[in-house]
Amino acid sequence: MKRPFANASSGLSATDPRVKLLDTRMKKENFRPDALIEILHAAQNAYGYLPMPVLQHISNKLHIPPARVFSTVTFYHFFSLKSRGDHTCLVCTGTACYVKGAQQLLDAVEKSFGIKAGEVSADNKLGLQVARCIGACGLAPAVVIDEEVQAKTDGQQLVAKIHEKLEAI
Amino acid sequence: MPVITVYINGQKISTESGVTILEVCKANNIPMLTLCHLKGLHDIGACRLCLVEIEGVNRLLSGCTTQVADNMMIRTDTDRIKRYQRITVELFFAERNHVCAVCVANGNCELQQAGYAVGLDHIRYPFLYPECNVDTSHPWFVMDHNRCIMCTRCVRVCTQVEGAGNWGVMNRGHDVRIISDFNTPWGESSTCTDCGKCVHACPTGAIWPKAVAQGQLTKYPEMIGELVEKRKLLQ
Ligand code: SF4
Ligand code: SF4
Ligand code: FES
Ligand code: FES
Repeated sequence: MKRPFANASSGLSATDPRVKLLDTRMKKENFRPDALIEILHAAQNAYGYLPMPVLQHISNKLHIPPARVFSTVTFYHFFSLKSRGDHTCLVCTGTACYVKGAQQLLDAVEKSFGIKAGEVSADNKLGLQVARCIGACGLAPAVVIDEEVQAKTDGQQLVAKIHEKLEAI
Repeated sequence: MPVITVYINGQKISTESGVTILEVCKANNIPMLTLCHLKGLHDIGACRLCLVEIEGVNRLLSGCTTQVADNMMIRTDTDRIKRYQRITVELFFAERNHVCAVCVANGNCELQQAGYAVGLDHIRYPFLYPECNVDTSHPWFVMDHNRCIMCTRCVRVCTQVEGAGNWGVMNRGHDVRIISDFNTPWGESSTCTDCGKCVHACPTGAIWPKAVAQGQLTKYPEMIGELVEKRKLLQ
């Protein structure tokens, strides 16, 4: 049991540059609890995802109960608790994209890269995710590779594009 | 507060303004089905059982979050309301694994009472049978997600009354679950004070004390509202 209750230590190293960056950011926001979303964004940018010790650290510093932090993180699709891979492929499975063949896109990626939705390849190079409507229904089926939207794509095109990204660096 | 007049099911009622329809109904012994409401906690209009029809408004509104206005014509007893209430209660039963016969709260459960109130005899929707865990890690209390209806009374009592903030809600849609801290075992919580308020606030058999046998559970949800009043006096 983790008692007596007190802010549990996050176990982060104070000399980690990312921790320093986060601390500066929180200080700039005056440790306001309502800056939570901004801070989570900053953390996710710094780490690529949100490791648990980082969430504990933020909870301690902003005086927000852990459960509230975790609720926020799991509510927004943008935040991830797991490493998403060096490159990400996000396939929209909203109604419009689904109707236009989002499933075939997922199948194509699975076949070529051996990962299912929500998974990251063994070498951590590529992560595959799904989202419910990314607000680009006119471009259905839509995929976002890293930050770039692929409109009206098909399996073959998509796989080629991913290879291109993976080979770039 | 200025006094206003409202009409509930045709009955003329004088009330102060700034109160909710539910409060007026309670004060005048007009029955209203509720689940997520608990006196002493902020209302959030989550369960959609306390439905009302208001003249001039097309949608059904929740009585616990809608304030009265002068000359408001309110109905709480129409067929439309009853139909939706029944659907809602059925969906509650179909969403998780509510097996009253083997539940600690059998005979002492607000969901079960809501079922009786809407005359539930069978469920028309397929049961989802989601996988839900039972957290027995706390030394005194059990959290059984199978019985949880996501009313968030536990979350609100722990945050708003106890001030501990142990509980939260994770995920979205039918993946939502009540969580302790970082979705970690309740017994390992760094925030829970073991006060037991959530045990009493929970309307179903989702949270219960270990020292109680099947169907033997007694809860005192009214305690929460009384506590809030007492605290005001003591301040
Ligand atoms: S026992 Fe008290 S402090 Fe612990 S979770 Fe329940 S309401 Fe919160
Ligand atoms: S555990 Fe009980 S009080 Fe908490 S959300 Fe579930 S049903 Fe409501
Ligand atoms: S459904 Fe894919 S962008 Fe809307
Ligand atoms: S009691 Fe009003 S919505 Fe639940």
